Amino acid sequence: MNANSERNPDFVTRFANWDNFLAALTIAVVAYALLGVPNFASVFNISQAVAGISERALIVLPMVLLIIAREIDLSVGSILALTSVIFGLLIQQGAPLLLAIPVTLVAGGICGGFNGLLVTKLGLPSLVVTLGTMALFRGIAYILLGSDSINDFPDSFLDFGIDTVGTSPVPQTILPFLLLAPVFAIALQKMPLGRRIYAIGGSPDAARYSGIRLARTVFGLFVTSGAVCAAAGMVYAARLANARANNAVGIELDVITIALLGGISVFGGRGRLTGVLWALLLVATIRNVLGLLQIGGDAQGTVIGLLLIVSLLASNAAERVFASVRTRYFKVKTGK
Amino acid sequence: MTSHLIKTLLVAGSLIASIAAANAQECAKEPVTVGFLPKLDTDPYFQVAQTGAEEAAKEIGGKAIKQAPSQATAEAQIDFINNLVSQKVGVIAISANDANAVAPALRRAAKQGVKVVSYDSDVSTAARSVFLNQAAGDSLAEMMLESMGQMINYDGEFAILSSTPTATNQNAWIDFMKKTMAGDKKFAKMKLVQVAYGQESEQVNQQQALALAQAFPNLKGIIIPAGIGLPAAARAMDQAGLLGKVKLTGLAPATLIKKYIQNGSVQDIWWNVKDLGYLTYYAAQAVAQCKLTGKEGETFEAGRLGSYKVGPKGEVLLGPADIVTPANVEEFKF
Repeated sequence: MNANSERNPDFVTRFANWDNFLAALTIAVVAYALLGVPNFASVFNISQAVAGISERALIVLPMVLLIIAREIDLSVGSILALTSVIFGLLIQQGAPLLLAIPVTLVAGGICGGFNGLLVTKLGLPSLVVTLGTMALFRGIAYILLGSDSINDFPDSFLDFGIDTVGTSPVPQTILPFLLLAPVFAIALQKMPLGRRIYAIGGSPDAARYSGIRLARTVFGLFVTSGAVCAAAGMVYAARLANARANNAVGIELDVITIALLGGISVFGGRGRLTGVLWALLLVATIRNVLGLLQIGGDAQGTVIGLLLIVSLLASNAAERVFASVRTRYFKVKTGK
Repeated sequence: MTSHLIKTLLVAGSLIASIAAANAQECAKEPVTVGFLPKLDTDPYFQVAQTGAEEAAKEIGGKAIKQAPSQATAEAQIDFINNLVSQKVGVIAISANDANAVAPALRRAAKQGVKVVSYDSDVSTAARSVFLNQAAGDSLAEMMLESMGQMINYDGEFAILSSTPTATNQNAWIDFMKKTMAGDKKFAKMKLVQVAYGQESEQVNQQQALALAQAFPNLKGIIIPAGIGLPAAARAMDQAGLLGKVKLTGLAPATLIKKYIQNGSVQDIWWNVKDLGYLTYYAAQAVAQCKLTGKEGETFEAGRLGSYKVGPKGEVLLGPADIVTPANVEEFKF
């Protein structure tokens, strides 16, 4: 076996991976939209399509970390709703933004901490815990505000929900995501914390025996998820100029779909944030294009669902093909 | 280098200028495309309304497109508002999931030169020019009482099976019915024995309807002012063999209870849903051409439906609803 053929499988895995496939697909869809879909290329349209994913983009960041660590948070939509209600009530009571924003973030962190405690101290599965708190947090939001909505916010806050950055098409509501995404990407892919998260998801027992403080890491991830949901709750309140208990119903499924489409393994331990960012862009573009082609909401949901299933099938099939290519022609790992 | 920069700036400048020109509030001279944005994509109510809009489009030109979210939320509707603006429709006709939450997006649409009307379910007044409302609240209550009177010969015990104790619409109707009965001799012999609640659930409505019939052996009828309750109660009474002995009326899509209406044991207050879409399309085109702005007292023509006058707060009433009886049930396609 010569050196050349040992490099080849590296080449295959480096370039024929899921991230690059998604990137190519996304670029192809965007290119098609630019050339073939009337009105896609307008400044207004692009900025609105980007603004439309502001909250999902935020929430998917901690969700990816949780799924990689073999956990999940189904209560994100409810935390978003609850924190938006808390924020709305604070503003209604005359609290200045500089007070209301940190208090809301802390409230989100506490919700996440509650999830984290149940998961780490009581050893309950996060799927069950957050299924419960999904109803619980929204229930509290209903207790606080009933079915009313709060619509009176300071102008500076509402401007944030509507304006773009300077004269560019970049909506301001995407800024929190643009600030947080690099932080999450570096933490996950370049720092010891990230390696610990992958280790936990890859094999929790092995991680525990190798000295990783598993409970503390998982707890921290849930708190982060809660706080980011609170940020998303405020972005949502700014963008829709309302705070109410039924905000963002069903958003958790969208977020999980994007994470899985982005190549995060449901079984934990695998996947990268870059793939998720492509998935985010892909889903936003497809929804926007389908809308411009006058296709209704239900059909859009169908297309996104199909895309997820086809992509899962394709990634499985591709892996099998690559694996068989590797073993048949290169026999790298089998040795001589 | 510098000339290149200047050229780029010039191009950018002219682009911005052309966008600004397109944004100015212009009055359309030709019929425009009207983007209908109902609460929910697959709701048959809005599909029937859409056939009316298409009929109107055939008569006066332009186009009626319909696009709606798969979830009945304001958030989902905002994406569709923006999308319709991107498609450069002339007018957006919206039935709002949340009157206030969609208002900023609609005002942004207006800044892009898109006019806005609401139908079926209003948005905040500042965010649209006219609201095409199907029927005035009091008239619906009056007709339900009248319909019950017709069926029981204005004599005997009846009950009301409402939706929830907190439902604003229903409570206002019930108060109006009580007041009317106290003041009008025509209803002097009718007696309201109980107001029960079906909680917007088919099952609870069925149980409550049967419970009312058992609790009051002389009960002659039930008024059910909630769309989901009337068909459910009718089925339950039918299965229990009580239909006909206890007459039912209320609000519900006529097609859902057509067979009970045909045999005379049920009546219903309803409007022609198709006409609502038809009227909305005519109003939208009038708004696009600046012939209609929403000021009280303005009038406009709506094809076969005739002339309409704008009421207070830019509201236009489709007209009185109808009592659906065996004689006219075929006219109601929804």
